Amino acid sequence: MKRGLRDVALAIAIVVVIGGLAMIVAGANPIDGFGQLLDGALGNPSEIAETLVQTTALLFPALGIAFAFRAGLFNIGAEGQLILGGMAAGVVGVMVPLPAVLAVPLTLAAGAFAGGLWGGIAGFFRARFGANEVIATLMLNVVALLLATYLIGGPLKEAGATASETASLPAAAQLPGIFPDSRLTLAFPIAIVLALVLRWIFRRTVFGYELRAAGEAPEAARRAGVNLARTAFVAMATSGAIAGLGGATIVMGMLHRFNTGLSPGYGFIGIAVALVGNLDPLGICIASFAFGILQSGAIAMQAMANVPRDVVSIVEGLVIVALAGRRVVAARRNA
Amino acid sequence: MIAALLALLALTLVKATPLIYAALGGVLSERSGVVNIGLEGGLVAGAFTAVVVAAATGNPVLGACAGVIAGALLAAILAFAATRFGVDQIVAGTGLNFVALGGAAYGLVVIFHQPGASREVTSLGATGSAILIALAFVLAALEWVFLFRTPWGLRVRACGENPRAAETAGVDALTTRFWAVVTGGAIAAIGGVYLSLGELDLYSDGMTAGRGYIALAAVIFGRWNPIGATGAALFFGFFAALQYTLQRSGVPSELMQALPYLAALVALGGFAGRVRAPASDGVPYVR
Amino acid sequence: MRGGEIHALVGENGAGKSTLSAIAYGSVTPDAGTIAASGPVGLVHQHFQLIERLTVWENVLLHREPRRGPFVDRGRARTMVRELAARHGLFINPDAVVETLPVGIKQRVELLRELAREPQILLLDEPTAALAPGEIEAFFATVRRLADGGSAILVVTHKLAEVTAYSQRVTVMRAGAVVAQYETAHTDAGEIARAMVGGELPALAARAATEPRPRLVIRDLSAGHGNGTLSKVSLSVAAGEIVGIAGIEGNGQSALADALAGVLPYDGTIELDGTPLPSALGPAARIERGVRIIPQDRRHEALVLDWNVRDNAMLGRQQHAPLRRGAIIDRSVAERYAREVIERFDVRPPNPNAIVDGLSGGNQQKIVVGRALAGEPKLVIAYQPTRGIDIGAATLVQSRLIEARNAGAAVLLISFELDEIFAVADRVIVFFGGHVAGAFTRTELDRGRIGALMAGDA
Repeated sequence: MKRGLRDVALAIAIVVVIGGLAMIVAGANPIDGFGQLLDGALGNPSEIAETLVQTTALLFPALGIAFAFRAGLFNIGAEGQLILGGMAAGVVGVMVPLPAVLAVPLTLAAGAFAGGLWGGIAGFFRARFGANEVIATLMLNVVALLLATYLIGGPLKEAGATASETASLPAAAQLPGIFPDSRLTLAFPIAIVLALVLRWIFRRTVFGYELRAAGEAPEAARRAGVNLARTAFVAMATSGAIAGLGGATIVMGMLHRFNTGLSPGYGFIGIAVALVGNLDPLGICIASFAFGILQSGAIAMQAMANVPRDVVSIVEGLVIVALAGRRVVAARRNA
Repeated sequence: MIAALLALLALTLVKATPLIYAALGGVLSERSGVVNIGLEGGLVAGAFTAVVVAAATGNPVLGACAGVIAGALLAAILAFAATRFGVDQIVAGTGLNFVALGGAAYGLVVIFHQPGASREVTSLGATGSAILIALAFVLAALEWVFLFRTPWGLRVRACGENPRAAETAGVDALTTRFWAVVTGGAIAAIGGVYLSLGELDLYSDGMTAGRGYIALAAVIFGRWNPIGATGAALFFGFFAALQYTLQRSGVPSELMQALPYLAALVALGGFAGRVRAPASDGVPYVR
Repeated sequence: MRGGEIHALVGENGAGKSTLSAIAYGSVTPDAGTIAASGPVGLVHQHFQLIERLTVWENVLLHREPRRGPFVDRGRARTMVRELAARHGLFINPDAVVETLPVGIKQRVELLRELAREPQILLLDEPTAALAPGEIEAFFATVRRLADGGSAILVVTHKLAEVTAYSQRVTVMRAGAVVAQYETAHTDAGEIARAMVGGELPALAARAATEPRPRLVIRDLSAGHGNGTLSKVSLSVAAGEIVGIAGIEGNGQSALADALAGVLPYDGTIELDGTPLPSALGPAARIERGVRIIPQDRRHEALVLDWNVRDNAMLGRQQHAPLRRGAIIDRSVAERYAREVIERFDVRPPNPNAIVDGLSGGNQQKIVVGRALAGEPKLVIAYQPTRGIDIGAATLVQSRLIEARNAGAAVLLISFELDEIFAVADRVIVFFGGHVAGAFTRTELDRGRIGALMAGDA
């Protein structure tokens, strides 16, 4: 607990100090810059709603990444899994006309399935060949974007309006909104529920117990009967499925279509969110909100205070470096 | 026909050169026991800083030097975090890449006042590029001699295998690792310099395109040996060259663009279980 | 320490012996007090500090490599190592890669590395742990030669037989302080042992009369590869019996333990109460059938150090009822398991929520042993069960193993400490080179004969 608080304080310090410095160098007043950031994120109810939209978009990949981390694996590929999940949801949503009560779960499932498949490939490489999942998922990230572009522009053209995006999703396949005049949809409560479910899995189930053992003491886990290869595969596939689900909610809730540019890097920022949240689902919810403020406020900050939004990337990167001591990811040796 | 083949070969060298530099940097770092995922960031730092200084001074050679220093400084962040605090190297390296990419994008706006790409600068020209290509191979040979024939190289390898044992023999494992990582970052940055001032004459967002990650696969594929990694880098570079050459054929461009990454993935799967990294590679050493 | 003298430093695990030698070596700075050495100090560690993938000469000459310009002079390096070895009556191949060497030769490399510094003071931390009884004599002959040359030698050990046989003076440590010093000629092992423990030694549990019935039958078991392969070994352990496997580390014991545990594939048959255990049967299923393992390395193979006592106490039993209820873990059962282990094995502090990493080695081991002996197991494989723990905890563990035997369990004790095996076993089987080299009943125990078999002498 003490360590968690210390790390959060460190993260905040980095945001304030480095962010402030970057603002000064860019010729802006830091107080003005931070002020615009916070105002843009929390200034009025509809802005808060948009912050929650960004929170949700971060929460899914962060939960997925944390899930893999707990098993001792580093899923850098959440971005690719998210993209393919979004693409699957977009295609299925457009091409499979069904009443809402069926369309929504089916489209969500398609997203989870695609993400799970993509994560599963890395998991398979890890389980079967002992290949480093970090490099595998990095490669798969690039391939995912290329694959999505190719499919939308080519074989899945019927779903497409242009070369890089699908047609609009029919209303039945869209997620119902929960706050007027905003993009906040059912995705937000779904994400919270998912966090609670994952928390329960970690703490109460045999599967969660074995997953954590594999992540923290692989040799002891192996001798206690845990199948390390299978755990690695399931962890990566589940991690991918959660990220893919996130991509689906972006398509079904935020954009109402699939677009290859649907993510400004949620899958990568999710790494920082997972670390700041101490790999705990509830902590991640809070961390997602904090980063959501940064995401939604950054646009206002750029427009109103003339601070480039890339400041946020720099800060997020340093937070990751600073918090990298948080969990030494075990099970790094080739299995 | 011969002309086409020669052109392909030449293009392979061009495409492989940044990979070779990044891979050589990766080999040095990992041989000392530190995995540097931040090679991508090193390429970015090298490419961007070189352009900035070339723009400011009009001198591409100064730009190149600045790029190398920038790569060393960026790697120093990881080196410091890894040796002083024993952080998880892979996570920290990932963060470093975001810092570099974000920093470059930020720099484009703040320095050049235009997002996306810098303005054109004086490049190294054809001669300069050719020198950089040749230098890559020279550096590969030098790194091999360093690691396997000199006392300092022996100590680096000892730190990568068993830093605790090395310390009992009197080697300062933390300082050795620090300098190996920093030097590796500097070498990788030369690849970035080649990208922005050799192959082109500007910096644009995303120009590194994951080459630093392919270099990591080349390190493994090359069995943590400078000569092997160079060979692997040429192999991946060949696929990139092939993609460019076959652009006009009927094969969809995205599939061709994916070739180098898919090749790296397959190599990883085929080789990973069978090769052994330095025993303490990626394992933080804490006194 | 005086030049020309072998000085023994003894004490229980945790008494501070290794810390003191580290201070003498210079790798640890003392908080108070002074140290003065008249010349270079060398330290041969208890756990080898060798770089497995490098060659002998690279290990021995690391950081003092002979040079020719900027390059390493490899020819001269090889010659230097050969000469150094010859000078001390040892033989070694400078180009051998360390990881291919047997344990006894690795120790030679470790020693040579320190000797290369021409130390005036040499500290040896548990130097005979990896040596066969016959080799110990030769080792101390080398040490004696060094002392005669003027060096001061400190031998840190817990083997009192070696202390009385080879040292001139002995210092006893307990709980971080020196409590006694003797001239070896004027004292005996008993007095030294009492000084180590600070009183009388705790008593071992009594061995009850049992009627051994066949329980574990191993036939032609082969497992592992490289150094430490097990080749067509046959042995049996009866219910109500403790069989001790005596042998130097690296002679197939780990392969035997891992095959029985279900983490190493094997050829041959293993039968428990007549039912075969197929090679593919995993660890959790074996635990369910009553096979319990106390692994050699508790920190890496038995415990999740960042977890609490309760979560560690149930490790291994989580896949089956009653701990498993459908998909979830039954918390009341978990609590019960934790209480059982803590109470029966006197784990301190007696708090199920305590994080295991903060417990002493002895208490950590009590959890591992307690977990293994819970619920009346049929077969217990105890691999170095008292490694690195204090005498009180060690005696408790040995007593509990005897009690399990009295209650009808079959116990296979694998240990590198002959004294432990002699104290506890009903029968002793000697391993050498992955084969059974000899078998003895309790009444036939002959230290000299067993020592010879352990070293490979027929």
